[in-house]
Amino acid sequence: MRARCPLPRLASALIALAGLLAVLPIAADGQAPKRGGTLRVAYGNDILGMDFYTTPGYEMVWVATNVGCGLVSITPDGKFIPDAAESWQISPDGLLYTFKLRKNVLFHDGTKVDAAAVKFTFDFVLDPANRSNMRQFLGAVHSVEVVDPSTVEIRLKQPYAFMMHVLAVYRMGMIIISPTATQKYSPEERRAGKPEALVGCGPFKLVEWVKGTHLVMDRFDKYFEPGLPYLDRVVIRTIKDPVTQLAAFKAGEIDFIADFSADHVDTLRAQNPRALVMTGKETTPMVAMMKVTMPADGKPMSKDRAPHAIFSDIRVRKAVACYGMDRKEIVKIAYKGQATPWLGIIPPGTMDTVDVNHMCPYDPAKAKTLLAEAGYGPQKPLTFELMTNTEKSVFNVIATVIKEQMARIGVTANIRLVDKPSWMTTATLDGVFDMYVEDLASLLTVDQNSYLSASSAAWNHSRHTDTRIDDFYARYAREMDPAKRKAIARELQEYSADKLYWNTISGSPFYQAAQPWMKDYVYQAEFKVSYKKVWLDR
Amino acid sequence: MRTYILRRLLQIIPTVLMITLVVFLMMQSIPGDPVVSLLGDAYTEENAIRARQEYGLDKPIMVQYFIWLGKLVRGDWGASILSGRPVLQDVLVRLPVTLELIVLSMAVALAIAIPAAIIGALRQNTWADYTATSVAMVGVSVPEFFLGVLLLLVFSVGLGGLLPSSGWVYFPGTCQTVVCAASLWGNTQHVLMPAIALGVGRAALLTRLLRASMLEVIRTEYVTTARAKGLSERPVVLKHALKNALIPTVTVMGLQVGFLIGGAIVVETLFAMPGLGTFGIDAIIARDYQQVQGFALITAIAFVVINLIVDLTYTFLDPRIRYA
Repeated sequence: MRARCPLPRLASALIALAGLLAVLPIAADGQAPKRGGTLRVAYGNDILGMDFYTTPGYEMVWVATNVGCGLVSITPDGKFIPDAAESWQISPDGLLYTFKLRKNVLFHDGTKVDAAAVKFTFDFVLDPANRSNMRQFLGAVHSVEVVDPSTVEIRLKQPYAFMMHVLAVYRMGMIIISPTATQKYSPEERRAGKPEALVGCGPFKLVEWVKGTHLVMDRFDKYFEPGLPYLDRVVIRTIKDPVTQLAAFKAGEIDFIADFSADHVDTLRAQNPRALVMTGKETTPMVAMMKVTMPADGKPMSKDRAPHAIFSDIRVRKAVACYGMDRKEIVKIAYKGQATPWLGIIPPGTMDTVDVNHMCPYDPAKAKTLLAEAGYGPQKPLTFELMTNTEKSVFNVIATVIKEQMARIGVTANIRLVDKPSWMTTATLDGVFDMYVEDLASLLTVDQNSYLSASSAAWNHSRHTDTRIDDFYARYAREMDPAKRKAIARELQEYSADKLYWNTISGSPFYQAAQPWMKDYVYQAEFKVSYKKVWLDR
Repeated sequence: MRTYILRRLLQIIPTVLMITLVVFLMMQSIPGDPVVSLLGDAYTEENAIRARQEYGLDKPIMVQYFIWLGKLVRGDWGASILSGRPVLQDVLVRLPVTLELIVLSMAVALAIAIPAAIIGALRQNTWADYTATSVAMVGVSVPEFFLGVLLLLVFSVGLGGLLPSSGWVYFPGTCQTVVCAASLWGNTQHVLMPAIALGVGRAALLTRLLRASMLEVIRTEYVTTARAKGLSERPVVLKHALKNALIPTVTVMGLQVGFLIGGAIVVETLFAMPGLGTFGIDAIIARDYQQVQGFALITAIAFVVINLIVDLTYTFLDPRIRYA
């Protein structure tokens, strides 16, 4: 009897194996993910605070995207995918967004993520008293209504082409917050990282944060995606010195560097040939921003504007920043060629970007002619102050190259080195400066830059008053046809390159490095750092 | 003696108050607004006004100082403007790390300085003396960060991770966080390179100082008398000469604490240690006034107390010294 059984037995074994394989997720390289382990992460900068909606800086965002969940998320190729919402519909007029929530989503405190929690989150963010940094992105929202416990409607005042981007990825996206925890704990307790106060619905729950020391997140066992996350724990440490980061990575003390200095990429590659060094087209602009207006009454932030003594003159702006700046040389020296020389207001890796470099060919002779037309020359040499800050060494290298390039056209650029808070205060509070070198926020869309460069934006550091820029942004944001939107984006970028209120030098490269045993991490630049599907093959 | 200690302890209060006031005024006078850092890209005039009111930054500077002082008297060291974390809590988490680093770096310094100075003094103008003096000169000349990087490259990178490059494992019983590693061996591994990087410069200084004192002491009459009594060289040097020669060295050791705290900032940053040095420098960079005050307060107290201990050590080294 037994001798006749092998075939059916084999068949049933094969069926069982096939069933098992269907259930088990298979990694891209064919390996089945392993569960467990601690991922050791290094950040180059401190996490400044832990309140999702008030703390600035990418470091907190990279934690929030693991502790929190939103309605939707986004893939590296820009496709929106479900998160807490399992499906959604957008009305033909683009004014009504209806989200159907999954029924099994829980906050870390065990309470349910439902339509009321979503509405609570929007109300919280929109309340000016809460000083939320996401509020600026929700200007188009008219109301948020609960239809039933698993259906929520977001009604807009006017069509807004980037509503889904806001929900998924602007800053950290609209992370849904627990009404129970938010009402129970104070903003100070959230900012201080009290785990009970920071209740999200993401794959990891916060265990402990000690500023400047470490942050620990553990797997949330009731996470709504079955089997995820794979890791037991994520430990984040701040290692500011790139040499120490390199040593720790080489010694295998850390598995992942979330933000790695471009200066040391070659060394890291040479020391760790098997390491995965990740980068992409730059989405952050490196700028040499020129101040265009000054407060007429001497009071910073005054609405009464007067022309800036030097850079209000378009001829001077063009001489200095268009024809007088050799962007290729700057990139060659400052980035060893590993960045894209760029002029456009939108970085090379951002959606709808346009290469307008041809509008400003390096031409020192033309620069001198323009300066002469503006009244500058050997008799009246142009001198300006070039502010740079100590946050990244590359800023100072760029400032030095600019100084050298200015000397070639008879212009003196005096470098003023300050620390980051001094730069931020001067630039943001309408302080006195002529030009500064910095890399600003990472941009996924053209629309995002309106918060930095529209004439009414708080971060309009050049303080230009040209409302045509605002019109471009408004038209772009309202236009639902991608082809037409692209045309508006081109117009904006050409106009901006012509006026030079915003002077980009290049893209600012962003690097991450992972050990060969860290599997299935998906690079999404600064926008998302998610450990949900990461596993360790040690 | 007790009266003296009490008097010295009471002197701490005006000293510390003076230091915290000066630091407070200096922080307020340097450019940079903590509200801009706090709000980041959410900065609007409306938000800034609200935040300034919330943190009392709209009040006159001296009023702000006295509010801080009033809270301090009640045991409240304030909260970080940026992170919202209680300053005292963070100070207590970081204090053991820096204390251990300073104590061990001083131990490293003494372990090098005492034998080198004795050899240099006893074998004056010989190759041993020249070697000790030259090494001391090199030690003084090498900055902490440079030596630290060298150690890092040799022991963490070059020798296949013999010693950990960064982070911290607490000395058993000193950890105050929920998740922390604590073990004697792990702690030793983590503190070794930072303590050497910080201690070598001090060792060089102390070697030169102690050698000079030793040279002076070994020529005094009581040392000659001790030798004439037939005492062997060992007790003459260690018991009679060294003990007296240590007095100026101990004074300098006390004063060096300030430099060690300064050096700790560099070393802790390099080795990514969660100590007070990084806490202080981060606070200054971020213009986090409350945190800077906490740092100034704890370092001032540490400096004054350590110098009190140094003064008391004199009575042990030289019984003729009495405090009344």
